[in-house]
Amino acid sequence: MSAVPAPTVPAPTVPAGRFAGLLRAETHRFLARRFLRVLLVLTLLGWIGALVIGLLAFRSPTPDALAAAQAQQQESIATSNAYREQCVADPSRPADVPVDEYCGPAADEQNTPVSLFLQPAPFSLVSDTDDGVVSVAAVGAALAFLVGGTFVGAEWSTRSMVALLFWETRRPRVMAAKLLVTAVASAVVGLLMQGLWLGMAGLLQAVAGDGRSTPDGFWSQLLATQGRGVLLTVFAGLLGFGLTNLLRNTGAATGVAFVYVVIAETAVRALRPAWQPWLLTNNAAALVLPDGLDLSWPDDRLPPGGSGSGIVEYSLGNGQAAAYLVVVTAVVVGAGVVLFSRRDLH
Amino acid sequence: MEFRAGHGCATVCAPDRPSLEALVPAVELHAVHKSYRRRGKPPQKALDALDLVVESGGVHGFLGPNGSGKTTTIRVLLGLVRAESGDVRLLDRPIPAGLPEVIGSVGALVETPLFFPGFSGRRNLRLLAETAGLPRTRVEEALEIVDLRERADDRFKGYSLGMKQRLGIAAALLKHPRLLVLDEPSNGLDPAGIKDVRELIRRLGADGSTTVLLSSHLLAEIEQVADSVSIMARGRCIASGPVREVLAGRSTGDVRVRVPDPAAAAAVLSAAGFRVGPADGGLLVAAGGAPGRVTQVLAEHGHYLEELTPVAADLETAFLALTADPA
Repeated sequence: MSAVPAPTVPAPTVPAGRFAGLLRAETHRFLARRFLRVLLVLTLLGWIGALVIGLLAFRSPTPDALAAAQAQQQESIATSNAYREQCVADPSRPADVPVDEYCGPAADEQNTPVSLFLQPAPFSLVSDTDDGVVSVAAVGAALAFLVGGTFVGAEWSTRSMVALLFWETRRPRVMAAKLLVTAVASAVVGLLMQGLWLGMAGLLQAVAGDGRSTPDGFWSQLLATQGRGVLLTVFAGLLGFGLTNLLRNTGAATGVAFVYVVIAETAVRALRPAWQPWLLTNNAAALVLPDGLDLSWPDDRLPPGGSGSGIVEYSLGNGQAAAYLVVVTAVVVGAGVVLFSRRDLH
Repeated sequence: MEFRAGHGCATVCAPDRPSLEALVPAVELHAVHKSYRRRGKPPQKALDALDLVVESGGVHGFLGPNGSGKTTTIRVLLGLVRAESGDVRLLDRPIPAGLPEVIGSVGALVETPLFFPGFSGRRNLRLLAETAGLPRTRVEEALEIVDLRERADDRFKGYSLGMKQRLGIAAALLKHPRLLVLDEPSNGLDPAGIKDVRELIRRLGADGSTTVLLSSHLLAEIEQVADSVSIMARGRCIASGPVREVLAGRSTGDVRVRVPDPAAAAAVLSAAGFRVGPADGGLLVAAGGAPGRVTQVLAEHGHYLEELTPVAADLETAFLALTADPA
């Protein structure tokens, strides 16, 4: 029998791949997913469908129809303002309630647009674009949630996540690469959705628009709103990823999201309306809307017989909503990463 | 191959090869503990002060009944499961801290191959190669080794079990591993596939630069391809060494004897104090390690041997004897 020679030379080692390689592989893995292609095709089909509906629903007015509508508009404004003047002059009007709140604001061409008197109405780039941006941001956020969730969910369901650790053992790096890909992909989803909306709005304005020119500052405000819409899709993508990574199942994550939005938030609005500033959908809307979101709820603190409107008004601004969504996303994603880094994997 | 007696499972020595890799053990575990928590039940010990050393080079069989701790050991080595205490080293690096330094030299196939079902075999391998910064040519080489090039563009989910297993082995080979960990690589393979995999394992183990740690429940497979073996039971390594040494350690000392008159010979041997029984037309004699004495007794009484064969324990016998529940 002979002794085993003692190690005298360090064993040569081949280090694990660089982060760039991991990132490239994750990007290719992401892009090769069939779900993404299906989603892209469905989005384009949806866009075409919405465009067709828009072209059928809107129509540029003929000069005669426009003149008639403008006449109806002026008449409506005059009537509304006459009623308002009566209301203002009414001696029984409460003194502690603002005039605009009690009698309503004075009618003008801004709040009584001519499109109200046109059938079918024309598309208005100036009036309709913000609503479109917010709606598209909501759809983009839902898609991004699915994209992020299914990306990591497929890794867990096929257990490829475990196989990947035979190649890159530093789990936080694995997560970082996947999160980076998800964030960029979500931003691309957001940009694509906003781009598609802008294209649709331009087409509708050209074919069935109201012919109004855009006011000063319109495009800068629109781009800012769209930018916040893209930011929302990034948050949604990361939340989808984080929630699915926590639960290790896409179906479970989607179910939790559905229950939260449909049941939990509805319950909060009904039972604890003062908690509304903490609801995710309110913060999502507040992030995208140009002036944030105004919330109101009955004031429970008002004593019986006390004076005041009895309504609490709360303005949820863009910055506050963004900060809140950053915190929520960081907590959900961070919890998943920490658990992934520490758990035994089988 | 050298067997260091008296050191339990830290006993397997490398073949005499002049490579640097042979200087350090491929795998070292000392006093490793791991328990799994179970809801409403006491923790289950998976590894119980496990000591195991696998020197570099050759094929090392890793045997044990279900639940003996084989897969947990492999998962600890690959950093998927954290040991609660003890020292773990892989290619002379501490695990899990040093795993990133050596993972580029370790190929693994643990249980079922894990790939994206909707991607082709080639695409799955390319993604892994990209992760490790390996050239695409290596993917083609690995596919060639496992004879999968012609079906490499088919989707993984359309592969037979054997093809999936071969792709898993190809993935494990991508890195030109110094240590190849194969957990049940013959699962799902047809007889021809099993033969191919065995030859591949034997070839890899013989090239001097790769150590193959082969976990299998197929004792015949281990016996045919492994240079050394470790046997696990209840979270501990209960025997380890070159296969023939482990078998020798379990040898009974029985001999099979063939003589012209078995009945008379049996009477003579019984009278001389040997335990004798019938065996395949001859006699099975408990020789107690003294077959010469059997020959002598029979010759003194005029019975001349036609055959005397030591009864060697096979790995299955040794395995069953070693892993038998003491309770």
